[in-house]
Formats: sequence, C-alpha cells, structure tokens
Amino acid sequence: MAETIKTSVQRYNPDNDDAPYLQDFEVEYEVGMTVLDALLYVQDKFDSSLAFRWECRGGQCGSCAVKVNGTARIACRTKVDPEESLVLEPLDKMPIIKDLVVDMAQTEYRIRRIRPYVARDKKPERPEIIHAEEIEKVREIRKCIECAACLSNCPIVHETWEYPGPMIIRQIARLELDPRDVEDRVGMAIDESVYSCTTCKMCTDICPKKIDVPALAVELLRAKAVEAGYPLAEGQQGFIDQINATGRAVPEKDAPLLKALETEEFTVENSRGRVGFFTGCLIDYRMQNTGKALIEVLNRNGVDVIVPKEQWCCASPAFRTGDLHTAHAAVERVTEIFENAMDKHGFDTVVVACAGCGKTLREDHRPVITEKRGEPPKFKVHDLAEYMLDVIGKENLVLPKGEIKLKITYHEPCHLGRGQGVVDQPVELLKMIPGVEYIEDPYRNRCCGAGGGVRAGKRELSQKIATTKREYIEATGASMITTECPFCTIQISDILEGSEIETRYIPDLLAESYRKGDK
Amino acid sequence: MEELPYRTILCDVLVVGAGGAGCRAAIEATKYNLDVIMLSKELLGKAHTAMAEGGYNVSLGNVDPDDNPETHFKDTIVGGNYLNDQALAEILVRDASERVFDLEEMGAVFDRTPEGKIAQRPFGKQSWRRTAYASDRTGSEIMVTLVEAVRKSAVRVYDEIFATKLLLHDGRIAGVTAIDLKYGDYMIFRAKAVVMATGGAGRVYTVTSNAQLDVGDGYAMAYEAGCDLIDMEMVQFHPTGMVKPESARGRLVTEAVRGEGGILLNSEGERFMHRYYPGVMELAGRDQVARSIMTEVREGRGSPDGGVYLSISHLPRSIIEFRLESMIEQFEDAGVDIRDEPMQVSPTCHHFMGGIKIDEEAGTNIPGLFAAGECTGGVHGGNRLGGNALADTQVFGALSGESAAKFAKEHEMTGLPKEKAMKEFLKLEAMLKREKGISPADARKELTDLMWTKVQIFRKEEEMAFAVKELRRIENEVVPKIKVDVAEKRFNPGWHQAIEFGHMVTTARMVAEAALIRKGSRGAHYRVDADPEDDGYYNIVVRKGANGDMELTKQELIITKITPP
Ligand code: SF4
Ligand code: SF4
Ligand code: FES
Repeated sequence: MAETIKTSVQRYNPDNDDAPYLQDFEVEYEVGMTVLDALLYVQDKFDSSLAFRWECRGGQCGSCAVKVNGTARIACRTKVDPEESLVLEPLDKMPIIKDLVVDMAQTEYRIRRIRPYVARDKKPERPEIIHAEEIEKVREIRKCIECAACLSNCPIVHETWEYPGPMIIRQIARLELDPRDVEDRVGMAIDESVYSCTTCKMCTDICPKKIDVPALAVELLRAKAVEAGYPLAEGQQGFIDQINATGRAVPEKDAPLLKALETEEFTVENSRGRVGFFTGCLIDYRMQNTGKALIEVLNRNGVDVIVPKEQWCCASPAFRTGDLHTAHAAVERVTEIFENAMDKHGFDTVVVACAGCGKTLREDHRPVITEKRGEPPKFKVHDLAEYMLDVIGKENLVLPKGEIKLKITYHEPCHLGRGQGVVDQPVELLKMIPGVEYIEDPYRNRCCGAGGGVRAGKRELSQKIATTKREYIEATGASMITTECPFCTIQISDILEGSEIETRYIPDLLAESYRKGDK
Repeated sequence: MEELPYRTILCDVLVVGAGGAGCRAAIEATKYNLDVIMLSKELLGKAHTAMAEGGYNVSLGNVDPDDNPETHFKDTIVGGNYLNDQALAEILVRDASERVFDLEEMGAVFDRTPEGKIAQRPFGKQSWRRTAYASDRTGSEIMVTLVEAVRKSAVRVYDEIFATKLLLHDGRIAGVTAIDLKYGDYMIFRAKAVVMATGGAGRVYTVTSNAQLDVGDGYAMAYEAGCDLIDMEMVQFHPTGMVKPESARGRLVTEAVRGEGGILLNSEGERFMHRYYPGVMELAGRDQVARSIMTEVREGRGSPDGGVYLSISHLPRSIIEFRLESMIEQFEDAGVDIRDEPMQVSPTCHHFMGGIKIDEEAGTNIPGLFAAGECTGGVHGGNRLGGNALADTQVFGALSGESAAKFAKEHEMTGLPKEKAMKEFLKLEAMLKREKGISPADARKELTDLMWTKVQIFRKEEEMAFAVKELRRIENEVVPKIKVDVAEKRFNPGWHQAIEFGHMVTTARMVAEAALIRKGSRGAHYRVDADPEDDGYYNIVVRKGANGDMELTKQELIITKITPP
C-alpha cells in the first residue's frame, strides 16, 4: 500500500463559515512530492473547490505561498517530508478570501507607496551604457518573485505595516542600487522605518531565491543612511560611542570577567583540544558567571580554554545599524588580537557563546578581512554547543549527572540558527541533562525583538515583538526557557518578568548540572 | 429571460491579459489620455511571461556587429518555414530594438557586454548572437519591469478576473463578460476598444511547459466572436522539457543551455545530433531538435525515463552559475547537480505559433478588437525562433495598445448587448446548478491525453482523424454536461476549470481540424505520412461559419520580401 500523509488544510469560506477550521485529508506520498503536489492531489481527488493559488509550479511566478507547518513558504518548491504530517494554512497578515487564498490588496497598496519603479529626471540615450559592475548588486536582489512569503513571516510586519517588510524594503534597496534611479531612496528608507528590522533572517531563510534581505537591503540602506548623515537613534549611538571609546558596547558595572580572571590560560591535563574564548561585551561586563560556566564546561570536557585578557567588541551593533566605520575598525582589531593569541597560545579555534558575536565574526568579519588582504582571519569560529557536539563529538562528551527536574523549552537565537546554522546542537545539550523534559516550541525560532538595534533604538516596537514571543513561550507550558545568547536572555527575562517562567543561559544550566553531579 | 445580478464597469481601452503583451499594451494606451483597464486572470506579475527564460531577439549587433534587422527578418522567415506573415515579421524586426530600449528605460536590467551595452547570446537558427538576456530569467526580468511600469502608470488593474466571452454590438467590439475569481460575481467590462493578450494554450496537452492558466481562453473567445485565426495547427514542442520527477514533467529547460554550449547525448553516450543536423547540431530549429530526440527515444536509445541527456558539465562552472542560475535551482529540486550531472530532457508543448489573425495595426477582423502576443498568429509562421516570443510581446503589445487607443479616440462607446451577456452568465450559472454531469478534471484528462497522443510531434492521418472525431463528440456531448462538484462561486477552482474546459475544447479542435487538412509536412507540423505533392506553402485560416460550423480555408502566403524556394 502506498504511504499516505495526513494533510490538514485550513478551510474557510467567509460567506458560509463562522470561522476557519482544519480539514484532514490522506494524501498518497510520492518521492519528490512538493506541497503544491499535495494540494493538487486534494483538489483532484477530494474537493475541486479547495482554493489555493499556483501558476508555474517551479518557483518562477510567486503565486503559491502558504504556511507550511507554521512557516510561510512557496508550495511548489517545498518538499513534503514523508515522516511528518502537514498543516497548511493561509499566509498571515493578509485577510482570507477563501481557504488558502488571501487578499493581496493591502500588500499592493504598500508596494505602491514606495514608488516602486526607476524614477528618471531625463530620457536616457539609446543605447544606454551601463556597466556590468554598476548593476551587479541589483541583479542579486532583483530575483524576487513577490511571493510575499517573507511578509507573512517577518516579525515586524506581524506587528505593524509601518515597516514595509522584506519584500518591499528589498525593492527600495534595488532602486537605491540602480544607477539610473534619481529618487532619494535613502531618505525614503528612513521614512519607511528601515531601522525596524531586527535582522532576524527569517526572510532569507525561507526566500525561494535565497535573497539575503537584511544584509543586501536593510543593512545596506542603513549604511547609506549613516553615510548621508542621518543620525542613529540615541540608544544605538550610545552603543557605538562606547565601542569606540572602550571596546565594549556597554558601560562597566560589576567587575568585568576579563579583569576578574586571574589568568589567561585554563588548562587541563591530557587535553583533547585548545580554544580561544571570545567573550563578547555582555558576558564580560554583565554575565560574568556565564563566562566562568563556559570555561568550566569546556575544561570538564578536556578542552583548554584561553581567554585573551585584551579583547574588543565584534562591533555587531555597528554592523547592524550601518556605522561601517566603527565596524571595520573593530574587525581589524579583533582579528589582530585573536591572531596574536593564536600564535602565542597555540590554538586555531575560537569559541563564542553569544549568537550575535558568532554571526558577526563569521558572516561580517570574514568578508571584510578577505577583501582587505585576500584571505580570511586565520582562526575558525564555533558556537559553544556546536563545538561540543560537532568538534568534541557527542560520544566524547562528559555527561552531566546532576538532575534538573524541569520542563524546559528553547529559544533559538536568530543569529545562531539562521545566522550560523546551529539548530539542533543546543537542544541536544539540553537533552543530555538528567531530569530535563524538553518541550519543543513550534515558534522557537521566532525573533525575540532584541536584535538589529531595535531594542536599543525602537523600544516600543521591540516590546511588541517580545510580547508576541512571550505568548509563544507561555503556550509551551514549560517552566524554564533556555537560550544561547546574552542579548536574547536579557530580552526574554525582561518580558517574562512577573511570570513563573525562568530564563537561563545554556552553559549556566550545564555547569549547574555538572556541579550537582559532583556532590 | 431569467436575470442574474452583475456589475458593469466602463473604460476606454480594455486589455484582456496581463502578461508581457498585455502590460505593454496597457502602458502604451494610457499615453493617450484614456482610461485603461487591464484584466488579469492571475495576480499582477504572475503571468506566464515570467517563466520565459532564454531571451529577447533583437539585432542590435552589440556582440556581432554585422547583425541587422534584415538578417533577423530572414532568420525569422526561414525558421518559420516561410509561412510567416512577412508584413508582421517586418514589424517585429523593425521595432524590436526600440522596445528593448523601452524596457531599459522602464528599469530592466539586462546582462551587459564589456562596453556596457546589452549582451547577446546565440540561439537556435540565428545567424548571429542576437538574443538579449538577463541570466536565464529574462522573462521574469521583463515581467518584473513591466509590473514596475504598470505600477507607475494610471492603468487600472483588475486582477483575478476571468474574461469568458467577447461581446459585440452591431459588428463592433463592445466589451467582455467576466467572472471575478475571488468572489464569483458576474461582470461586464465595456470599452471602446479591446486588446486581446491572453497568451497560449499549452495546457491542452498533457505535457507542457505552460503555466496553469494557459488554456486557450483567447483563441476560443475570438473564435466564438467571429475572428479569423491562422496557423492553428502549428504547435511548438520545445525539445527540452524536464522528464523527472513526474510533477515537474514538461517544465522548460531553457534553450540557453544549448545556446551556452550544452550537448545532447543518447543512452549510448553518442552526440546524436551529428546524424540529423551536423551543420548546426544542438542549435537546429526547435521542431528539428524535438523530432531528433523523439526518434532516438522511439528507436530505443533514450534514457530509462523516456528522454535523452543534456549535458553542460564540460562548461566552466562560473559560466553555468552566472548564466544558468535558474536551471541549477530547478534541477537541484529534482536532485540533479547540473554542474556535474546531465539533465534528462524530452519535448514539451511550449508555444502556439497560430492564433488570432492580425493586420499591421494589430487589428483583427472585428472593428475595435486588437490582439498581441502568443494569442495571435502569423508572426512566427510554422516555427518560432527561441527569443522571438518575448520580442513579439513587446513589439505587438505596444502596437496594439497604440492602435486600440487611437480607435478609442475616434469612436464612441457602443450599445450594450445585454442579452448576449445574460445568456453567457446563465450558461456559467448552469455549470454550478447541474445536478448530474461530468467533472471537469476527468474531462480535461481525456482531452489533454487525446491531444498528446494523437495531434503531436509526429502526425498521422488516422490519428488526427480520430482526434477530430473525438473532439467533435466532446464538444457536443461533454461540454454541455460539465458540472461543478461544489456549487460555490467564491474562489472555486472547480468552477474555473469547468469554464476553461469549453475554451480548451474549442482551441484543441482548431488545432486538430487544421492539422488534418494540411497533408504535407511544414514547420512544426510534421507528418509521417506526408503527401509529397503538398509543399505546404499556404496558411490555414479558421473561423466560425455563419451556420455555426468551423470553417477552414487555405490562404495564400503573405509575402513582402522573401519568396519560398
Ligand atoms: S530580517 Fe527579520 S525583521 Fe528583518 S525583514 Fe527579514 S524577517 Fe523582517
Ligand atoms: S524576497 Fe524572497 S521571500 Fe520575499 S517576496 Fe521576494 S522571493 Fe518571496
Ligand atoms: S506556482 Fe509559481 S512559484 Fe509556485
């Protein structure tokens, strides 16, 4: 008998039904089947009135975006997983016309608001000479097929249409990059709230054309805005000034980790490896215990940890907000510090426990250095969880023995999951702790609203995103939420204030279990 | 007569269809201080034009300076097997360059030569490198540009409106009836002039590269209204469609793959085009390559899945990645890395050369009705060159928009043929009300399989005669019994398919009937039992006769410059 897949499709005809409901169908699975194939199967075999859009069946027209198990994607290029049942719903944010067909009218108004065409102040010569280099960058972000899947997933659009969303901010960047367009697209981007994006990369992740909207559109427009003299928000400028003055994005409070540590070298006998620890600003200045926990966890697993005393901010806040001057200066400094430390202490891998720093070191520093000197920084960068599972290896890990009897869920930092491709490892670590009942949150990879300079610059918006996130977390029924980014930890513990749910950093929790196990 | 509720909307120029030709026509028509409505069966920008991959033919001579419109004309006529309406082909080659510059002015981003001009690549049967492109997503680039331009213009876009019938008043075009796909309402659009830009009908064949909506609405509507249609038997099978997976069967594998140097191999690893067209090899005409592939398959040298292999693994990866980026993506979904592995390909129904007959103003034989793009016939003759279709949409799109605008300026609105409209609405309503009948999905399968097996690449008298007989039966017995499963008007694909089915049958019948009376081989019409006496140098014109029967007449070729050999 052929394998079948339970496919639940949201049905709704506002002419007849009070509210949307899910209807289940058994769909015969075929190798290579896409979500569109599944929908066509249902339409063909069970109900020809099932409404959804499609045209090209190959990612060329952008008609067929729907929510597949909670995340919007184009149906014709999303493979059906035979191991999993399917839940198909219409895109968020847009009113339903019927079943999976939504009304795009508002999106169309929103597009038209940005004057989405090349504006010219004189007729061009025929032929018009345009050099390949001038349009190279346009080419990449021009592949958009306006499928609107990214609009449905964007945490900002979810809260407000003041921000036009990835699809449309991309069009502003496309026009800004076009040498023929004469409008002030940078001013327009400011007016269109370009500083609202948290750079969560949700859009990039699901884009059928893999357009890196936060980097190629949002951060590009922000950099141009800074260049044009638009001031940053007060909160954001504060970070930048701090970085330039002290190498730390925040002011000192309690004794910083790097000052408090008595030595740079934390070695063990018969070590299996040696890493440098890039603390980042928040672990150094605000979460010293987490830093110590990280060193302890690595030491317990037979890894020497080197903590160079002199460190500098990765300048993520500068990259995110468009101050490339500050950003590039920091890149050079960080590279130099760690390359020197590599030579001095003999390691080739740097471990990070901050999602934002890790993403910045990997995605932003490497190209800058490569462009400058033809080769990237000499050291490898790993997130802690990734290092433990992928480099040390699960079979070699020293298991924590102290029981922590709790229902625990996990928040996947945007810059860890989508920024560095570290998705399962932190959860694996959690599951190693005896007593932990891990609860999967279907929205675990949704942005907490802190990143991209939004918490610093647009507090109110950041709170709204966080409130939505809180609803997701509460729905899991967990009594603790863990994560692997200091920034997320701060944001989430803020929004959970007054609730029973505790927020913890994964290295802290691991260290706690190890210590308990010692007793 | 029973009355159903409907809404009527007025405008000066109505454009039916929102692909490359429709958008271009609408943009042009707004330049005349007129109120222009464009009806789109899909959402704006989702039309089939976005799926065109390879390019736009224009004799700019940016890469090969000796190219010129004359040579482009000659290639087009020779490629079309001399069946083209040469007056129209002259317009195509004359205006192609201005229209490509229009696109650039609107914001199109074509790939460049080192001097900063529009780059051009070789395509089948062309004397020079003539095809302008934007990687292998040229159609998408053009569609995106036109959407940008439509959003800048004052064109009123009515999206997801399905025009079902042309309305005439005193012999002049009066407008169309339509349903609103979203909510199911009946509508009449009245206009002083109408442009048909409804695209093709690949979907009447089982295996096709065409989008869901390409079911031949325009051909059928024009036929019913009394238009002359020409060359309907000329259906282009693109030689390279995807074979696997089943759900992707027929999806286009752009000619650019061969243009960039891709080679065709059979199961024995032989580059078989040597045996058929040694001079031009893989860049022979589309009909020629399609037949060569099918011959290999029929003679047992095909791949296990019934295709042949198309390989580009000998090309530098950088070229593949820069110029064939969509192909990489498309085959990645099928689990094939085209940088290393060959693609499996076989022919797929791709383009209708035939269609509504137009004059040099893009006018039809119905006053006030104009047409452009794939729904017209004549420009491409018996076989369309790759890259000429996108040029066609722009050249004749603009021309039809201009002509319609001028016509609208000179004429008042006609009266309202209300009864005819109501009759149409009642017919559409009946599909919903019918208690017993045939479901459109089953009927459709029967139709497309019939066309795919009997009126295909290799054509035979008995098979076509059988198809004609069957199609007449389907028209008389199945079409009137089509029944929608769920009697709901709001966005009901079952109802849309039911309405489309009638259009598909009319279109298929025109193809089969015309093919049956063409006894010799010519262009895409290849008969295994060709009558050697029939040199094929004529066009077949189809129209609805006074008594309601389909009338077919042979007509002399329209020759302005090149006489057939
Ligand atoms: S990165 Fe996140 S917040 Fe920014 S546009 Fe994309 S989805 Fe929206
Ligand atoms: S950016 Fe990507 S996801 Fe967003 S609309 Fe365009 S193609 Fe779709
Ligand atoms: S059907 Fe065209 S993108 Fe999915």
